[in-house]
Amino acid sequence: MSADPARVPVPRTTGAESPAEVVAAVRRRAGPPAAWWGMVVLIASEATLFGAFIGTYYYLRFETPVWPPLGIPEPKVVVPLILIGCLALTAPPMLLAYRAAAAGRLRAARGYLVLALVVQAGYFAFEVHDFRDQLHTYGITRNAYSSIYYTLLGADHAHVLLGILFTAWLLAKLAGGLTTYRVNAAQAIAWYWVAVILLTFAVIGTLLSARV
Amino acid sequence: MAVVVPPRPAGAEYVERLERQWASRPGVLGWLTTTDHKRIGLLYFWTTLAFFGAGGVEALIMRTQLSTPNEHVVSPGTYDELFSMHGITMIFFFIIPMTTGAFGNYLIPLMIGARDMAFPRMNALSYWIFLASGLFIYTSLFMGMAPNAGWFDYVPLASRQFDPGRNIDFYCLGIIFNSIASTLTAGQFIVTIFKSRAPGMSLNRMPLFCFAFLAASLGLLFALPVLSANTIFLFLDRNIGTHFFDPARGGSPLLWQHLFWIFGHPEVYILIVPAFGIATSIIPAFTQRRLTAFPLVAIAELLVVFIGFGVWAHHMFATGMPTISMVFFAAATAMVVIPSTIQVFAWCMSMVTGSARFRTPLLFIAGFIFMFVTGGLTGIMFLAIPFDQQVTDTYFIIAHFHYIIFGAAVFPIFGGMYFWFPKVTGRMYFERPGQISFWIIFVGTNLLFFPMHIVGLLGMTRRVYTYPGGLGWTAFNFAETVGGFITLVGILLLFGNLVVSYFRAPRADQDPWHGPTLEWTTTSPPPEYNFAVVPTVTSPYPNWDDADRERDRAKLARGVLVLDEGHEQPAVTPVDGRFAEIVEMPNESPWPVVLAISLALVFTMLLIEKYVIAGLMGILCLITLLAWSWKEPQE
Amino acid sequence: MTGRAARRTGPLIFLLAAVLLLAGCGNGQNALAPASHQSRDIADLFWWMMGGAWIGLAIVVALLFWSWKRRNRRGLGSDRAGEKPGERASWYVVVAAGIAMPIVVVATLFVISDIFVIQTTQAPASAATKLTVQVIGHQWWWEIRYPGTRAVTANEIHIPARTPVRVEVRGADVIHSFWVPELNRKIDAIPGRTNSIVLDADEAGRYRGQCAEFCGLQHAHMGFYVFADPPARFRSWLAHEATPAAPPSSALERTGQRLFMGGACSSCHTIRGTNAQGYVGPDLTHVADRTTLAALTLSNRRSDLAGWIGNAQHYKPGNQMPDLNLTASGRQALVAYLEGLR
Repeated sequence: MSADPARVPVPRTTGAESPAEVVAAVRRRAGPPAAWWGMVVLIASEATLFGAFIGTYYYLRFETPVWPPLGIPEPKVVVPLILIGCLALTAPPMLLAYRAAAAGRLRAARGYLVLALVVQAGYFAFEVHDFRDQLHTYGITRNAYSSIYYTLLGADHAHVLLGILFTAWLLAKLAGGLTTYRVNAAQAIAWYWVAVILLTFAVIGTLLSARV
Repeated sequence: MAVVVPPRPAGAEYVERLERQWASRPGVLGWLTTTDHKRIGLLYFWTTLAFFGAGGVEALIMRTQLSTPNEHVVSPGTYDELFSMHGITMIFFFIIPMTTGAFGNYLIPLMIGARDMAFPRMNALSYWIFLASGLFIYTSLFMGMAPNAGWFDYVPLASRQFDPGRNIDFYCLGIIFNSIASTLTAGQFIVTIFKSRAPGMSLNRMPLFCFAFLAASLGLLFALPVLSANTIFLFLDRNIGTHFFDPARGGSPLLWQHLFWIFGHPEVYILIVPAFGIATSIIPAFTQRRLTAFPLVAIAELLVVFIGFGVWAHHMFATGMPTISMVFFAAATAMVVIPSTIQVFAWCMSMVTGSARFRTPLLFIAGFIFMFVTGGLTGIMFLAIPFDQQVTDTYFIIAHFHYIIFGAAVFPIFGGMYFWFPKVTGRMYFERPGQISFWIIFVGTNLLFFPMHIVGLLGMTRRVYTYPGGLGWTAFNFAETVGGFITLVGILLLFGNLVVSYFRAPRADQDPWHGPTLEWTTTSPPPEYNFAVVPTVTSPYPNWDDADRERDRAKLARGVLVLDEGHEQPAVTPVDGRFAEIVEMPNESPWPVVLAISLALVFTMLLIEKYVIAGLMGILCLITLLAWSWKEPQE
Repeated sequence: MTGRAARRTGPLIFLLAAVLLLAGCGNGQNALAPASHQSRDIADLFWWMMGGAWIGLAIVVALLFWSWKRRNRRGLGSDRAGEKPGERASWYVVVAAGIAMPIVVVATLFVISDIFVIQTTQAPASAATKLTVQVIGHQWWWEIRYPGTRAVTANEIHIPARTPVRVEVRGADVIHSFWVPELNRKIDAIPGRTNSIVLDADEAGRYRGQCAEFCGLQHAHMGFYVFADPPARFRSWLAHEATPAAPPSSALERTGQRLFMGGACSSCHTIRGTNAQGYVGPDLTHVADRTTLAALTLSNRRSDLAGWIGNAQHYKPGNQMPDLNLTASGRQALVAYLEGLR
């Protein structure tokens, strides 16, 4: 690491070469890394996008006397709630994967990620199947309700897909060993998933409010 | 006879090592793959100037068409494309990228004592995406299908039924494409300002320039997604057949307006707040005085953007909204006045109590204050709802926002160009032509925009390609056209002066103005690594803290905090600026350009309705990101 | 140089503005030549606000001028770089002029305009008016209807003077905006909803209006007139406007009518009392009575009418009236027929 540690009071985190050095560097540094802040900023932007979609949903709703309009079935309750529950259960493994990586326990980190990835992929497959089924009952071009319904839900699924790609990428990276970059990535991606799960709750809540 | 070897300056061996670590790749390839914030800033600078020229030509053609009644310089269809492209170009491809991309990129790391942004490769990506989106939209102009429903494209006019060609599809896709670049830049600035400041620079020691850019970046971050959602809806309505805006099937044309202005109003503050930052850099330098009421000004800069999110429906007072809603938005508009008036008087009092040197940069700032106050006063008039309802959508509004945008954004940009010209180029500029260029531009813009107040009150509506004689509008329009050409002369003189100065003016040393902030402590132009040592900072005006600068010289001599083990820079905690870690920054990378090209392909395929191929291009983007992320910064 | 030049040009601009403003007086579309209670309130509001604005600008210009006078001089106290001479006084100015004064001014303006004046300019209560006119904005003409009667016309509205009239406005295709500044502020004509505004002319006269929301290629040529008539004259106008079309009275006119009914004209235009029933273009039942054609683009003189029928695209390119491929004699007949539609 540093040629003269006395001159440099903080760790050279990116310069850490062995897992032990990574763990030490990550522990010594003060506060979350720039990568985590970058993820916070990305989440803020995407949350605002969803805010606009959800705002649109309610704006259109309050302009329309009958909602959902005649001929469109009310959204189902049970299956979506079970699915979102399953997705929410992947948040602990993602966070634990980060903590394990930061502590140098690479095998545990990989294990948690595999567990999370399987559930996330399963959730996504179910949702895609469900989405296509619904499109057969009524299409997106039927009216304003169907337009915002599928757009809002589709945007949510797209963000879940992005998260799955993140998890898979992280797994592939960790297969090659531990670096500070990968620990930072694990932290950022874990929080991405927390955000996506919370957003999905908001989205499902919005869509189910049509039943009220 | 003994050869006398001049003594090496203290710390020279460290500087040499830094030079080797940070040397940039030569040639065109170096520029294509650069991640250096200064080079990226320069790329933005020249590109935005080209768009400024295009937007200016569009304006002058319109002014020529309107110089007399019933002219036939352009057809109505072409005129509609001109005013739409003029607005889109000036806002999305000139002001925002010039202030954030050029000035922000070049100066923020220098002002906070950093060596680069927090995410240098993403910074390069922002530029290439910006360039690609500009080329994308301008292709529409060359193909005769430019956006033609204004820069705000109200529906149903912008729907497929009433605008069947690809014009609005170019708009939707181009805007979304461009907003990716601006969002990345906004995120970049926020993280850099919080994490990459020099250790010891707590937030209250950060220059006001950075507060302004932080405010603008937060504004961009929260405003752009709303625009993206809106343009996504419009694109879907036009191409897939959804009904977001179709009243026959439950949609609402006013939904477009609400979402547009929820983005659009914060956008106009985003346009001018960075310029406020430029003003708050120039005034201390040319008055040799710390800015009055620093904490009030810092808070005001953040507050104006924040409150600006709550006023949007004042653009919709003529739509028949319920009175109570309008009154709410008028009240919010009233509140947003206060942070601006705080700043105006802080600037003025700094100039009065300091020792003002009216060199060209300060002249532009004085002009800016005059124009901003004029535009701001008519803005205050709009909180009177009945008056707003009388003059909205007329030339009165055009006068208002041009006084604000040209006066409060472009004047500081021009002043900033003169101010930092010595730092960026290493040459002074010629002062006399500089002052003359200011006066010509000042007279020209006032002649161009002031009569618009009058002609709007006389009933001239906006976005008209011609007007009849006999209504008393002719003389004013003619005067405005003359003013436009006078402004052109002034602008040509300004740039001519800078070009000639670049080649012929005397060399500038590192601190020609005795400026307040850290960029004046390093060479002109700065070396790739900006600072040889991590600077000591104890106030927002570090170049005036002689003791700290002395400390830096001592540090360099002893090799302390030179950070020359690699391509290194420090990271700090967000608020107090405590030293947190040392991170390695990436060198040149080809992936930003490649990703920008792949994204351009996605948008092009969407434009020509080849959705499956667009999906494949999307996968290409993902593969590029994979390649990008494969090499970690320390490798 | 800053302050001095600004001080000289300021009043000059004001003087010039006043002179030129008066030159525009009488154009019929002048927000500062109000002809109703509503427009007068708005104009008065403007004059007060403008007075306040000039004062505000003068204060700032005075400060800039003062800084110019004090240029290159030593500051109020220490002149070492980085000091803050006169900081306390500056804080007082910033707080007084930058916070307190604007709060007072803005709050006063808000209360006067958005609590009081707004009550006269907002949509009228249903009991407040005795006459309703419906205005429907099309690309690029105005359809005018008088509910309760059969009267339908285009691009000209007649109202009785000194009578509050409710105007209900909506858009048929895209968003337009109904604006006749000497009588009231503007109100948007939006598809799918109906907005209302009151017109209450102080005296008889002709007032000019124009579409004020960009609505496509010929937005610039979408004007209209509001004629405030003495109430008796208005009643007779309305009664006449409700009657069906006068039959053709000469052979030439009959030829013209045949051409009209047999050709493309009758599929776009309505002439009440005949088989012509179309809604793309304006109702032509009493077209000869109108003062202009094509929404104030042309006069209604014979030469202009002939020009319009012969080549509408020349005068209003992009509008919906196609080239009719008329012969000279056909055009002559049609002109005669249309001129008979009083």
